[in-house]
Amino acid sequence: MSVNTAAMTEKVDWRKYFTWNTDHKVIGIQYLVTTFFFFIVGGALAMLVRTELGQPGTDLLDGVEYNRFLTNHGSVMIFLWIIPVLAGFGNYLIPLMIGARDMAFPNLNALSFWLIPPAGVLMIASFFVGSAESGWTAYVPLSVTAPLGQTLWAVSVIILGVSSLLGAINFVTTTLTMRAEGMGFWDLPLFVWGMLATALMILVATPMLTAGLILIALDRVAGTLFFDVAAGGDPVFWQNIFWFYSHPAVYIMILPGMGIISEIFPVFSRKPIFGYKAIAISSMAISVLGLTVWAHHMFTSGMNPALRIPYMITSMIIAVPTGIKIFSWLGTIWDGKLRFTTPMLFALGFISMFLIGGITGIFLASIPVDLHVHDTYFVVAHLHFVLFGGSVSAVYAGLYYWFPKITGRKYDERLGKVHFWMNFIGTNLSYLPMFLAGLLGMPRRVVDYAPEFTGVNQLATVGAYLLGLSTLPFLYNAIVSWARGPRAESNPWRALTLEWTTSSPPPEHNFDERPVMKIWPYSYGEVEVESEATGPVASAGD
Amino acid sequence: MESNAALHKQEFKAGHQLGLDHKKLGMWLFLSSEVMFFGGLISAFLHFKINTPSPAESALLDVALIGVNTFILLTSSFTVVLGLAAIQRGNSRALAGYLGLTILLGAVFLTGQVYEFKMLYQEGMTLQSSVYGSSFYTLTGFHGLHVLIGVVWAVFVLVNALRGRYAENEHGGVEIFGLYWHFVDIVWIVLFTIIYLV
Amino acid sequence: MKERNLFAIIVLSLVLIAVGYLVATSVDLSWLMPAQASERAVLVDRLFRFMMGIATVVFLIVEGALIYAVLRFRQKPGDESDARPVHGNNTLEIVWTLIPAVIVAVIGVYSYRVLTEVERVPDDPLVVRVISQQFSWRFEYPESGVSANVLHLPVDRPVQFQIESRDVIHSFWVPEFRVKRDATPGQIDELVLTPSQIGRYPIRCAELCGPGHAAMVSEVIVESEEDFQAWIEAGGVEVLDAGKGVPAGDKLPDDPLAAGRVVFTKYGCGACHTLDEAKTGGIVGPSLSDIGRVAAERLQGVNAVDYVRSSIVETDAFVVDGYPSGVMPNDFGERMTPEELDVLVEYLLSQ
Repeated sequence: MSVNTAAMTEKVDWRKYFTWNTDHKVIGIQYLVTTFFFFIVGGALAMLVRTELGQPGTDLLDGVEYNRFLTNHGSVMIFLWIIPVLAGFGNYLIPLMIGARDMAFPNLNALSFWLIPPAGVLMIASFFVGSAESGWTAYVPLSVTAPLGQTLWAVSVIILGVSSLLGAINFVTTTLTMRAEGMGFWDLPLFVWGMLATALMILVATPMLTAGLILIALDRVAGTLFFDVAAGGDPVFWQNIFWFYSHPAVYIMILPGMGIISEIFPVFSRKPIFGYKAIAISSMAISVLGLTVWAHHMFTSGMNPALRIPYMITSMIIAVPTGIKIFSWLGTIWDGKLRFTTPMLFALGFISMFLIGGITGIFLASIPVDLHVHDTYFVVAHLHFVLFGGSVSAVYAGLYYWFPKITGRKYDERLGKVHFWMNFIGTNLSYLPMFLAGLLGMPRRVVDYAPEFTGVNQLATVGAYLLGLSTLPFLYNAIVSWARGPRAESNPWRALTLEWTTSSPPPEHNFDERPVMKIWPYSYGEVEVESEATGPVASAGD
Repeated sequence: MESNAALHKQEFKAGHQLGLDHKKLGMWLFLSSEVMFFGGLISAFLHFKINTPSPAESALLDVALIGVNTFILLTSSFTVVLGLAAIQRGNSRALAGYLGLTILLGAVFLTGQVYEFKMLYQEGMTLQSSVYGSSFYTLTGFHGLHVLIGVVWAVFVLVNALRGRYAENEHGGVEIFGLYWHFVDIVWIVLFTIIYLV
Repeated sequence: MKERNLFAIIVLSLVLIAVGYLVATSVDLSWLMPAQASERAVLVDRLFRFMMGIATVVFLIVEGALIYAVLRFRQKPGDESDARPVHGNNTLEIVWTLIPAVIVAVIGVYSYRVLTEVERVPDDPLVVRVISQQFSWRFEYPESGVSANVLHLPVDRPVQFQIESRDVIHSFWVPEFRVKRDATPGQIDELVLTPSQIGRYPIRCAELCGPGHAAMVSEVIVESEEDFQAWIEAGGVEVLDAGKGVPAGDKLPDDPLAAGRVVFTKYGCGACHTLDEAKTGGIVGPSLSDIGRVAAERLQGVNAVDYVRSSIVETDAFVVDGYPSGVMPNDFGERMTPEELDVLVEYLLSQ
């Protein structure tokens, strides 16, 4: 495994990150950095929301402002952070992991990135014309009568949908046609499996949302009557369309994350992944089943009561493939030789918190219980355990894990651990009390609440501040280490997937030699992993 | 970098063993998402047609006119097939001729649709007249937009054909355009059935 | 070694089952839920407890295994070698696929049975229409023609709600009843339940419905059959924030100011407007606490009476700067009787 020293000493021209560049690695970094910016924007909105909820009454924000902030918090976090940041990982990693020189459609790839900044600007600009204020769910008819910003919001989400769709086409095509010689489907790294399942879901579900948003936009702009009740329009129809996309969107946001941690556990346990095929197949199972559960968001709405039963059943069945993954990860670390690096800590944190999100999902799928907890803080807690405790943990795990590969530098392990513990404590402190608030009777999306909910809300607000602060050690670590961190060798973790066989960062053409898949990516304990250095893998020991 | 790009093309055998041309696969994936997009609009149309029918307005639809229009669009699919067959025999001029015919037929279809819209508007069926009207124009309008994009694309393919960019073993561009065009036709057959016949 | 492992697994399983059983049956979980004020609350809570029992066991197994692995399997200092390679275990994988499948099947069947039980439509229920609009609730009793903005229900008598909305989607939720139902414009959503405990419980809107969503609250008063009948016969009594014993409906108090205050409360004005006299603190619309003074000075050429009256009837006639237009319901002109409108204007101008 030769190191391309030329690439390491080559001066990085930062200006290329602001141009139309078709190198998937440049695009991947563009994605990661841009979406992290939006993560901070969405986080700042969350800080404002939590500050308002720090005590009962409406002290900081009024009802209109509050609804605008919460709408943009949700929309930014989902459409401009989690979905695209995972696409960023896909962009950077898929060609490297399958031994390709680039994505199948490099120009299309650049286009899918360059759609994001204008869409983000559009969403934030909507603040200046009366922002969207009907939640990220944009339930009609509220969203039809909302101010002009709601139209910009709809256009922004349509653009982001197109971006994610083009990315999905690229991921599937690249994975199917450009794998290195000798790499069959059962040799694909599990992250690639996760992205494949995600991309197939995006292809099926996202166009539905686009169609629905077009109907809303037309109602607002062209005077159509789709959601005008007086003319026979139907608000429940929007809910069907919306959730047909937006429930799968949850899996779109979690499957790549599950892929990331499936890469991390074997490396830091020095053991093969436990149940490779079961994990890969369960990703596909979730992606298919995930398309059949959407109406569990509508148990309290005016849908046909008898139809609720099949949706309850499918929603609960999803617990089975999800459980398979969790148990397989436990099987992977069991009897391993665990190294508690920052990515490993985030991956372990992922399991412990995602589990809570998963279990409470069963409560929500059970119709009688859902009729009580639907649209309450119980749901807010549940979704944040899945998306923050789950997806965001996985994103952080991935950022630390591939940091040496992407930047060619080592990050500071001590700061990474500080970050992990702040994040882990903050997440639990912020979201656990919300379960109680919801069960006891606090609806979601309220600017004010009854005094009996003060205690739980104060805990949640303190937790949220801790989460806000936790980004600081991360940002400091990332920026300083990227600029001045010690050089990373090509395979600091002694990992077996193909991206570690090239230099860190990889040369523009990815591989100097034609990559041939010789070692199965999880053969730990069965092959000698070559590495120039076997010393500490990060700049500061633990 | 050039050599690496060249290698890129030949090297990765695993995918090619599946017999997949990546451009064609990409198009198929795109079309599958288009199926879902039209699926959304079609379900909207059917939902409102069944639950909020507007018999007076649906009676205004001119099945004969659109029947002819449908025939024209189907014919245009046939000319694309003939064009592709021509270039596969290496006949670039015949390809250009068939593409020209396709563009003409597509344009006639669009004219027919505009004419239909105009007539219906004069009769009082508009985007804002009823939910039926809203969903009718949205669905047929978005299909029309796809035809328009197809016609513009066909013009580009035609220009390429006239410049001699295609040959017996180099006709991927025509084929991919053909996939799109056939898809748009198939969608129309579905729309014609559910809007005008059922 | 094998024997010992097997033994440990059996003991652990028994302990876990015992813990789960205790959580599902005898551990005090009442702090997790509000009071049980309806028959369905009892059934839902039983199901919830059952699921909590299972959830606790699953939680303990996974987090326990995680923590055990973290403590037990850490890398020994200086040991750079790989672990023993294990790719899977078919028996184990089948077990952890089947057991969750069985568990969710059991939960599914149990949920289904509870659902059919709680949603069985009773014979001869008390019918109550729930009319929601931004940002207030109104309850109508078709049998007696009474209309009120506080919900009164007799204890132990089945109720059938017919829930509707005049504008956007709301959701009628009484946490103590353990149920909510959306109010979707254009359709009537039905909900049945039987209140089982006398008391006063909050009604909250659970679906984001606009700036005043959080303030869209009311109260349900579950009372004895006699008290309920007395209330009905009095023509419904408006009590929310406005003191007691003031008859509503067509029977306004003789004192116009008291009558105005009843009307103010009846139409839920306080959900959006602050009015010190009526002790309301809404923030969606402008404060009305000194509207009597402001109204006369607001616009040249418009006298105070016209200003206030127009603002109620044609809601977007004079929107105060800094407040959104199109938010206030525009049908008060049709819903209020002329007398109600008169006393309301008089009442407001007295502020």
